[in-house]
Amino acid sequence: MASRDRTARVAVLGTSVQRSRNERRPPRGRNAQLRRAVLVLLVLVALVLLTVSFRSPTSGALHTAQGYGATVLRPFQVAAERVARPFRDAYDYVTGLTGAKSENEKLKREVRQLRTQATANLAGARRAAELEALMRFENLRSFPKDYTPVNTTVISFPGTPFAQQVTIAAGANSGIRINTPVVTADGLIGRVTNVFPSTSQVTLLNDEESSVAAVDVTHGVSGIIRRGPRGTFILDRVAKEAKVAKGDVIVTRGTVDRRYPSYYPYGIQIGTVLSASPSDIATFLSVQVTPYARFDSLDAVAALVPKTPK
Amino acid sequence: MSVVDGLKAAALLFVAAIFQVSIFSQARVLAGEPDLLLVMLVAVALLRGSMFGAVGGFFAGLIVDTATGAKLGLTSLVLTLAGYWIGRYGETTGRDRAHAPFLSVAVVTVLYSFGVLVLHFVLGEPAPAAPLARGLVPSIVLNLILTAPVYALVRRLLRPLDRGDYATEVQLLG
Repeated sequence: MASRDRTARVAVLGTSVQRSRNERRPPRGRNAQLRRAVLVLLVLVALVLLTVSFRSPTSGALHTAQGYGATVLRPFQVAAERVARPFRDAYDYVTGLTGAKSENEKLKREVRQLRTQATANLAGARRAAELEALMRFENLRSFPKDYTPVNTTVISFPGTPFAQQVTIAAGANSGIRINTPVVTADGLIGRVTNVFPSTSQVTLLNDEESSVAAVDVTHGVSGIIRRGPRGTFILDRVAKEAKVAKGDVIVTRGTVDRRYPSYYPYGIQIGTVLSASPSDIATFLSVQVTPYARFDSLDAVAALVPKTPK
Repeated sequence: MSVVDGLKAAALLFVAAIFQVSIFSQARVLAGEPDLLLVMLVAVALLRGSMFGAVGGFFAGLIVDTATGAKLGLTSLVLTLAGYWIGRYGETTGRDRAHAPFLSVAVVTVLYSFGVLVLHFVLGEPAPAAPLARGLVPSIVLNLILTAPVYALVRRLLRPLDRGDYATEVQLLG
């Protein structure tokens, strides 16, 4: 065993230095202790925060404090988003230069208008045959009649590849509640899963845990929309014998049974069928859906707040 | 190390956190995503040591979790450990090495990604490894591209310390 009084030899001088027995512990030792104590403290605090946040994600004192924090941070986020907007627009412009930009935009607008009209017609006609005809058809031309749109913008984007969630610049103060549907001009993008006074967290449709009851308005086939491969969706739970064709329009199914109300009103556009094929081994038809909304460039969105609180 | 240094580091990390959640997290290139906050934290921790790294990582993580409405403490926990570890590396082995920021950023990008993945898994949330694996190399490359300008900026604002100011545990003789 080495002696505590061991000799340290300094190479340059070639002399030996005797370490004193009563040499005081250097302050660096205290620094190391302090440093470790701070690390342990911070890790413990983080774990406590994580535990509390995990146990009550949408209520409680910590949630309220987080809401106040989000309110304080919101102007900074909006400012950062505004600073970045010209650069983002320039990036979008450059990436969109594959065709004639202006003509492309004009055609897109026309397609969007026609698609909205066509979807409204199809969705309205379907429900008219089943329920109360023209009244619904009228309402489906714009937003669902029982809902008021709260127009807002996206101020933060998914922080990890695991959860597809964005933050929007409107919260409980604007009437938004948990499960409020959120749409863009193109179609449904998700629903609110956490609400703060002036911001809300929206879980997107392409999140692993998202699912929406949907209906193919062309053939009246119902199913569940889930995330699929490579930016597409899957219309799940469609019986093999059901008829679904490429190009069919998929919209939200809405509430069918009052005992089990849907978060989403009937008739919000989701996407079109990309392919539908049966498989020998699968129980259901394999229906791939291309979403209308572009989840990689969300900006202006509208939260659909029910006129009468549910 | 002074209060002014602390304020400068806090301001840098705050701005990086806001830009990260508002802009950089949307900038996907080949499934990868640049992480300005992580690179900034590495730079601060390398230049100011493990205490700054740990405390800076904790509060920067809180800002991210608050701004995104995520579970409080999740990002804080990972960034605290990342900041501390990089700070220790800067105080000891990585001191005065030109490649230290780049090596730190590359390694910490991998560890941070897997740390977040593991935490999501432990919390019972969806934690698919495939998107992480696909985006890991592009993320490292993007972060390495950010490293030079970010480190130069932080080095300009936070001048490197003298040897004696570092909180080493190994007492140097001679």
